[in-house]
Amino acid sequence: MQVKVAIGTIAFMLTMIVLGYAALREPARLDESTGAFVGRSIETGGQIFDANCATCHGVNGQAEECYDAGSGEAIPCKGLPLNSYFLVCGEPSQRIVDLGWEGTKFQYIERTVSSGRSGTLMPAWLDQFGGPLRPDQIKNVTLFILNWGDEEFCAQEPSSFAWPDTVDEFMAMDDVQAGDPEAGADVYLNLGCNACHGMPDQEGSNAVGPWLGDIAETGATRVEGQSAMEYVYHSILDPNAFIAPDCPTGPCTDPSLMPGDFAFRMSTNPQDMADILSYLMGE
Amino acid sequence: MATFFEQVSEMGIKQATIAKADEAVERLTAGMNISDIRAALRGDAPRRPNPRLRPHADSFWFHIRPSFYHTEVTHIYPTFRLGWLSTFMFVWETITGILLMVFYTPSPLLAYGNMWNILSNVPLGQLMRNMHRLGAEVMVLVVALHMLRTFLTGSYKKPRQFTWVTGMLLITLTALLSFSGYLLPWDQLAYWALTVFLSGAEAAPAPPVVNETILLILQGAPALGAAGLLRWYLFHVLLLPLILGIFFFVHYYKVVLYGISLPPSREQIGDDTAKRVPKAERTYFTPDILTNELMWTALIILLLTVGSLWFWDAPLEHHADPVVTPLHVVAPWYLAWSQGWLKLADKTLVVGFIPLLLVSFIVMPYVEVGKSRRYADRRVGFTVAFLFIAFMLVSNWMGTPEFRVQSSPELQVSQEVMPQEGNNIMKGVPYEYLTPGVYLPGQEIEGNPWLTNALAAFEEGMSRYSCTLNGNPNLPIEWEPCEVTQTGAGAKYANHFTNDAMPDPYAELRITQRQSDMVKLTLFYLVEDPENPGEFLIDSGDSIYSYRNETSGYTEECRFLNKDC
Ligand code: HEC
Ligand code: HEC
Ligand code: HEM
Repeated sequence: MQVKVAIGTIAFMLTMIVLGYAALREPARLDESTGAFVGRSIETGGQIFDANCATCHGVNGQAEECYDAGSGEAIPCKGLPLNSYFLVCGEPSQRIVDLGWEGTKFQYIERTVSSGRSGTLMPAWLDQFGGPLRPDQIKNVTLFILNWGDEEFCAQEPSSFAWPDTVDEFMAMDDVQAGDPEAGADVYLNLGCNACHGMPDQEGSNAVGPWLGDIAETGATRVEGQSAMEYVYHSILDPNAFIAPDCPTGPCTDPSLMPGDFAFRMSTNPQDMADILSYLMGE
Repeated sequence: MATFFEQVSEMGIKQATIAKADEAVERLTAGMNISDIRAALRGDAPRRPNPRLRPHADSFWFHIRPSFYHTEVTHIYPTFRLGWLSTFMFVWETITGILLMVFYTPSPLLAYGNMWNILSNVPLGQLMRNMHRLGAEVMVLVVALHMLRTFLTGSYKKPRQFTWVTGMLLITLTALLSFSGYLLPWDQLAYWALTVFLSGAEAAPAPPVVNETILLILQGAPALGAAGLLRWYLFHVLLLPLILGIFFFVHYYKVVLYGISLPPSREQIGDDTAKRVPKAERTYFTPDILTNELMWTALIILLLTVGSLWFWDAPLEHHADPVVTPLHVVAPWYLAWSQGWLKLADKTLVVGFIPLLLVSFIVMPYVEVGKSRRYADRRVGFTVAFLFIAFMLVSNWMGTPEFRVQSSPELQVSQEVMPQEGNNIMKGVPYEYLTPGVYLPGQEIEGNPWLTNALAAFEEGMSRYSCTLNGNPNLPIEWEPCEVTQTGAGAKYANHFTNDAMPDPYAELRITQRQSDMVKLTLFYLVEDPENPGEFLIDSGDSIYSYRNETSGYTEECRFLNKDC
């Protein structure tokens, strides 16, 4: 019996030592598990993105390289860039500041994806709102989008083309040629202007922003001293500079719903600006 | 009786305190004072009248236990402590289960997140979860072994038939308890195992109205969802433990009533002398049995703790998804036999057979009424039992995905190398070693034993599902020749393993960087149609892939015994 008491006591003491060891390494293990949870959520989010979002937002979320889900053919991207410095870098990120959104960028993306953007092509994804995704899946894809904003990517604000102050100075630049309206029509689609403004040759096709079919005339009436072209030039580079009066769903909101990153997105090829201007001016 | 103050004035503060403490201890133990306890621990003979017997009359916990055992049944043989161990495991599960309940909400919206919260936010949460889940599997095993031992020693025979009957209820409840817990994490593993189980309930050999009603009761709605999870949670934490508790007491009452049966060789054939214990053969509960049980308690706790910490890890797969059926739905090992049967026989037949089997086990002691418990006299019974055990083991093996292939060969290979759920050799490759590039099956990568391993598994899988028509021009691997059969829907290519093999396939593993801390692993297969060159039988394109994030930590999990990767 003494042996049994001894064995029992030793076993009990060993258990306590083992538990003590487990308690000591616990903080590190908890961190590891947190990492595992986030990592796996991002993995799942990636798959959800590939299956649902890439057709509009592009394979890499840059609103480039979009393929039709059925045929696999390349199509113009209809969505905004999500893999974008302005959306995913900083807290709050520039996009959120521009919109005057109160809350974090995580909440902004989660909310936008859940309920979609009414009047635009961005559908509601949450099952509760008639979409195909569960709340956990929305969280996962949100984490995936934010995961583009790693340290390196966010280290410095993307350099933007030095846009001149006036459109005349811009058009006079050496490497800018006279605008080509047909190329402009493509740019209009590729940058997703149609998602909000509809097609200029179709009155009433606009969902979020004003119809641009008559902007060549109305544009000249917006800001004193600005020609229509000058006005459109500034509207694209800085949507908040002047808020248009009438949007399809009532007065346009201030701050503008129009993304502020076109100045950056057109930087890779400033000729796009000339083309889109000539397209909108109906040349 | 004198008050404390009177005692103090009578014998001084020290003596009075000791006397008071003695009194308190005697009340707590329902009969033993301090010196009695010390004497028992020293191993002295008890004083007369024996104070160690009083707790068995006066205290609740001790009155459940007999005051002495026949010395013959206190050794490892014949009980192997298995009944006691079953009881211990039930208590263990209750305690760890209550702790887990604190952190769990039975809702599809929250349950899966709760599991991750337990793992990543609750101190010692993972240990607790592992203990509970490991305990559940150990309990099933222990109860089954206990059943085997009571069968082998013939302890189900008269007068203990009813003990056996309650035992059958207990093992059924134990399996159901274990299985109902399986659903609660609300991951893919859980969801689909239960879905398969419920589809069984639906196929029972009864009128459709009955089946539909049963199904409705079991999942609370036409489809498994919030209502179903709540019900299974309540089964798991309330209903089943309650019934099991009740039948445990019936079971144990019968055990005490008839005494534990002596080893068959120690009594005359047909005798039952368990209750007639000569004075010299008595082993008293206090102190011997008690000490023994405390020692085992300490040892088992140590084993379970160490096991849950270093050797065994509770699985947690992706969030349950009713629209994505994993390629292989796995039942827990203790129910895998039923899955094996389902692969061979008609569902209705299987679902009808199981209750029949249960009933025959329950009535067995009333039908098998041979007098002798001696092993030599029970050859027929043993033979039947061992055949049955062998049958169950084979059925269990048939229940695993190894048996009977169902999907197309390229998915089958992918399932072996990189399934969507569960562990796999790919997860064993640390993130740093997943260097972007294109790799062939069987390729050896210098300085990268992990990837080399995974590619070897890839080659192994490929060679199982491939064959060659013209010496395999596409990959530097030798395959066995194809057996070609012409069918209406084109030629079929077979090898010794499968009759749906890929003729001269090309396959590769592509690793690409998806995000700065995440790679994409794509398994690509291309099989040209030998009959129509230029057409492809299989072109998996970009469709078979998974992601690996730097922090996902699969590799850390791989060190556990039950995760081979
Ligand atoms: C049918 C095309 C389409 C699909 C599919 C689509 N989106 Fe969108 N998305 C859009 C459009 C168009 C917008 C711009 C809405 C607007 O005008 O405000 C947008 C906007 C967004 C925004 C807001 C971006 C910002 O800067 O304000 C987020 C976030 C987003 N989408 C995420 C997703 C996710 C995640 C998915 C997949 C689950 C997805 N989208 C699928 C078209 C789509
Ligand atoms: C997310 C939706 C959205 C997208 C995408 C968008 N805009 Fe806008 N845009 C608006 C809204 C809302 C307004 C009105 C508020 C304001 O003036 O900023 C507007 C205003 C304008 C105006 C001024 C219209 C007026 O009547 O005064 C012009 C010009 C314009 N956008 C051009 C473009 C061009 C060109 C693109 C593509 C490069 C584009 N927008 C993309 C939402 C959008
Ligand atoms: C939760 C499950 C169970 C518990 C907690 C339990 C508990 C016990 C205990 C404590 C004993 C005392 C003897 C011993 O330790 O072996 C016992 C005896 C017995 N049990 Fe169980 N038991 C369980 C399941 C079963 C099952 C599944 C069977 C068989 C179908 C069974 C049949 C018996 C029989 C016949 C005895 C009498 C043994 C004898 O007298 O030698 N029990 N049980």
